[in-house]
Amino acid sequence: MLIKVPLEWLREYVDIRVPIDELALKIHMSSTEVKGVERPWWDDNVRVGRVEKLEKHPNADKLQLATVEYGEGRRKTVVTGAANLSVGAIVPFADEGAEIIDGHTGERTTLRGKPMRGIKSEGMVLSAKELGLGEDHDGIQLLDPKLPVGALLREVLGETILALDVQPNRPDCLGIVGVAREVAALLATALREAALDPLTTRTPKGLDVRIEDPEACPRFAAALLRNVRIGPSPAWLQGRLVAAGMRPIDNVVDITNYVMLELGQPLHAYDHRELRGGALVARRARSGETLRTLDGVDRVLPDGTLVIADEERALGVAGIMGGESSEIRQDTTTVALECASFEPRGIGRTATRLGLRGSSGSAAARRFAWELSPDLVPLALARAVRLLREHAGAELVGVVDRYPRPRARVNVRMRFSDVPRVMGIEISPEETLDILRRLQFEAAADRDTLVATPPAVRTDIAIAEDVVEEVGRIAGYDRLPMRIPDGPLPLHERHPLEEFRERARDGLAGFGLQEIVAYSLIDPGWLSQLTADGSPLAPEPLRVTNPTSLAQSVARPTLRPSLLDTARRNLRNREGIAIFEIAPVYLPRRGDLPEERWTIGILLAGNAEPARDGETWLTKPRPWDIRDLEGFFDALAELLHVSHPPAEPASAPGLHPGRSIAFAHDGAIRLAAGQLDPRVAERWELPLATFVGEIDLAWWHAASRRPEAKAPSRYPPALRDLAIVVDEATPYRHVVREIRAAAPELLESASLLDLYRGPQAGPGKKSFAFRLVFRSATGTLSEGDVERAMKRVVGRLEHALGAAIRS
Amino acid sequence: MANTDLKTLADRAVAEIGAAADEAALEAARVRYLGRKDGALAEFTKQIPALPAKERPAMGAAVNDAKRRIESALDERTGALRAAHLERELGAERQDMTLPPRRLRLGRVHPISQTIREVSRIFATLGFETVEGPEIESDYYNFEALNIPPGHPAREKWDTLWISNPLGDDPAHPLLGRTHTSPMQVRIMEKRRPPIRVVIPGRCYRYEATDAIRESIFFQYEGLAIDEKLTMSDLKGVLYAFARQVFGGDRRIRFRIDYFPFTEPSAEIAFSCFICEGRDPKCHTCGGDGWIEAAGCGMVHPDVLRRVGYDPTTYQGFAFGGGLERLCMLRTGAPDIRLFYQNDLRFLEQF
Repeated sequence: MLIKVPLEWLREYVDIRVPIDELALKIHMSSTEVKGVERPWWDDNVRVGRVEKLEKHPNADKLQLATVEYGEGRRKTVVTGAANLSVGAIVPFADEGAEIIDGHTGERTTLRGKPMRGIKSEGMVLSAKELGLGEDHDGIQLLDPKLPVGALLREVLGETILALDVQPNRPDCLGIVGVAREVAALLATALREAALDPLTTRTPKGLDVRIEDPEACPRFAAALLRNVRIGPSPAWLQGRLVAAGMRPIDNVVDITNYVMLELGQPLHAYDHRELRGGALVARRARSGETLRTLDGVDRVLPDGTLVIADEERALGVAGIMGGESSEIRQDTTTVALECASFEPRGIGRTATRLGLRGSSGSAAARRFAWELSPDLVPLALARAVRLLREHAGAELVGVVDRYPRPRARVNVRMRFSDVPRVMGIEISPEETLDILRRLQFEAAADRDTLVATPPAVRTDIAIAEDVVEEVGRIAGYDRLPMRIPDGPLPLHERHPLEEFRERARDGLAGFGLQEIVAYSLIDPGWLSQLTADGSPLAPEPLRVTNPTSLAQSVARPTLRPSLLDTARRNLRNREGIAIFEIAPVYLPRRGDLPEERWTIGILLAGNAEPARDGETWLTKPRPWDIRDLEGFFDALAELLHVSHPPAEPASAPGLHPGRSIAFAHDGAIRLAAGQLDPRVAERWELPLATFVGEIDLAWWHAASRRPEAKAPSRYPPALRDLAIVVDEATPYRHVVREIRAAAPELLESASLLDLYRGPQAGPGKKSFAFRLVFRSATGTLSEGDVERAMKRVVGRLEHALGAAIRS
Repeated sequence: MANTDLKTLADRAVAEIGAAADEAALEAARVRYLGRKDGALAEFTKQIPALPAKERPAMGAAVNDAKRRIESALDERTGALRAAHLERELGAERQDMTLPPRRLRLGRVHPISQTIREVSRIFATLGFETVEGPEIESDYYNFEALNIPPGHPAREKWDTLWISNPLGDDPAHPLLGRTHTSPMQVRIMEKRRPPIRVVIPGRCYRYEATDAIRESIFFQYEGLAIDEKLTMSDLKGVLYAFARQVFGGDRRIRFRIDYFPFTEPSAEIAFSCFICEGRDPKCHTCGGDGWIEAAGCGMVHPDVLRRVGYDPTTYQGFAFGGGLERLCMLRTGAPDIRLFYQNDLRFLEQF
């Protein structure tokens, strides 16, 4: 939680004798993150000065020459027209080059020494207006005589504010005093306690307090105050509220806010006239109970909401927001002041349900959602009573404090050696004890045994490690040495699938494809745009119930829409694209976490050449085609040693029915690739020449094998060309299969030279030309060996496929 | 007498050969002097049998000597002419070597993948094994097992994207996009016994408005090391070694107090600024204070250890976690985290 700490308020509780930057760094390193230091804008040339000598200006009656000392014996003489100076006055002094505000124009300006009536002014003593502190320009702004001469003015005057980001384990630091406690420990100096009025234990007539649910409200105290005079609070108090970021309202409300800012404990003031039955009761809301809260909203209280009520009705939502009916009015004279402790999670839940959580929620609710110490209750009440007496004329009638099951003090029993055990650095028991005492811990030592008792306002200390952190942070993490761990090295596991995946990634990048990493949450609308008829390509996706936007509201069950979207956006500024993504897709499982199925997705679209836009030097423009996609798949399979029966041509969903392949296994499509259905391409504003494919990585991995290497044959090959004519319907794959089956031992390769359709093949026929390479691992093949093998090939093709040999 | 003639003849031949302009002139000179039938030397050879036996050896030697001189001159001249010819030909084949080359299509691995590999590689040298785990997690692993029960105020630090299963939700076990890689600490410890040293890169999710440095979908790396005596100082050493490898040079490392419910003590790590070394108050990389905040870390909380069945009086160790994109942005100067996921190839082609 971000809080603002005006330094001047902090100084009320702790002496700060180090420069502000050093203080801020110490707090940042060892206590609470410092988000920023807001400070006056005066630069290094504006300092506290002391008037040493005053003389009349020889040439002007209304001007004086003032000699100002501004630290370390430095002196300058300035010309001034101010009448309120006297020798010994402590004044703001600006040296030449200082940035100040021009008293006439009100604009910022850089001070230049210039002669006035013949005498050069070597600087300036400044008015409130020139300091930017007000409109007064008649005299010099006289400063507190106790200010050290020579100090930078910005260090000692004006609001310097530390912006701290307090972490949820430190609710004690939500108040100025809590921060002061930390500062006192860091600077090894004393903490001044807040001025309190003693709380009488006399039960006041006309006010009782009852806790109906001690789990939700462990402590509830209230004070009755009479003769209260409602009015504005004093200027200094208003100033502090404003500096800390709150708006002044009236003295009573301001004082409750002031105490909250100072001690971290919220309070609430009621007009006692409105308390029916003269009681404050912490109880659960009744079914259907309603309340108009201070923000003017009529609320139906959710069942079980903890409320503060009188004997008849709810007055406010406990710890979150008061009600309008009992709020302090101008004519209020008797005030019931509530100071209570609530179970933080209940407050958090109720604040969420009422929409009063987070930074927009009430300041009280945000504090009560953290574990404030019940021991703050009497402190805050006594502090508020004192301020109400001083600034609202209040008289204390009496106090009730219900605390049925007081929290036991935490005593952490540990060993001094726990500090080096955890931190890896020797911190002596003496230093440990010193640090704990600076932090207001009570500490008892017996040889290596230490019993540490945190101050009652701390709720974050429970175990030895908590105490070790306290010692470590105040000693300073800077003191930790850097060790490279020794000790036993664990045996590492292999991760075959991840290794396979990384080889695939390198392979595809090596083929010239660019890897993308797209958002894993996508627009659900995309999923109905992947097929011509809008039917889904993948299972119903997991949904984000509180998405940041519709565009990121379902977990993608397929990579395809991400590829299409990436291509669409890139093709606005390029002619062609070749990309891949390797990422999980999310497939729901009943009663379990979803399957995160790692998938390879590939997309080619637009032009394959030129590789660089527009450049046709040494290259001819051509679009990607289906054979490119097949080529990448084939090459990747070869690289990764994947061998599976080749996929059948199939009409994979969303793809061109005649130009796609798919492979199903165990009821799911594991590989689908082809030209994007033209209707889908149009919908995505993609060119017809768009080719996509997806592979289930684990399935491919299962179909891969370890490479087996042998030495290449030392014998020469025999080459034979073969042209055959087959029916148009005979797929190439069948032809190759028959050729290979005919000469499994000797045939090294069968390369397609040409596919021909035309008069020489005949109608309804096509002709393939092959180059066959025969080779033996054991000897040079004779002419006869090769002829016999060729005969088997031809015979098999004729027999199995009805092929005719073309000579 | 004959010897003198022979010498004169050879001198003349060598001079003529030396002056031959091309291979045809050379051939003509060869025929003229060394030709078997009509060559000038053949005239002398023919005379030998007619000489007195005593003079024949000297004459034979003189003829052979002249022949060797002429042959050697011929070889030399032939070589010279061929070299000159080749020189001319190569000159004529000269290309403009500043013309563009044949373009290859370059594929690249995405900067996020590159960074994950870099992080894994560095931690592997420190004995950390890279493991991965589910992105869609249960509330238990993401929060409860890490000392963050429902309603805990620290939950505000991890605004959550909640996930609904179309096959049915179990209100007792809500699903979410993991808000950090820390749930893997618990999963790994449940599966293994110490010693453990693992690093976990992976995608995470937060309910968060995006800007130049924040994404609601992003990557983290998580480290976990458990044995019987690891300390905060070991943690500092490991992260120092990491910082040196990532940012080069002799980086300094700074720990400051921080809070995470699942580590105690906790710290935030900053690396000394590798751009300005803390010398530029207007440095864009570190914001001027000389330190780059990089990750959160701490000693694994005894309650977390206890929950996975480790005895905290025997085992202790540390964990750390930081943003991957930030590492990559710092190293490459990429100005906006969203660029990584927009996948504009003009951006990706720079890595």
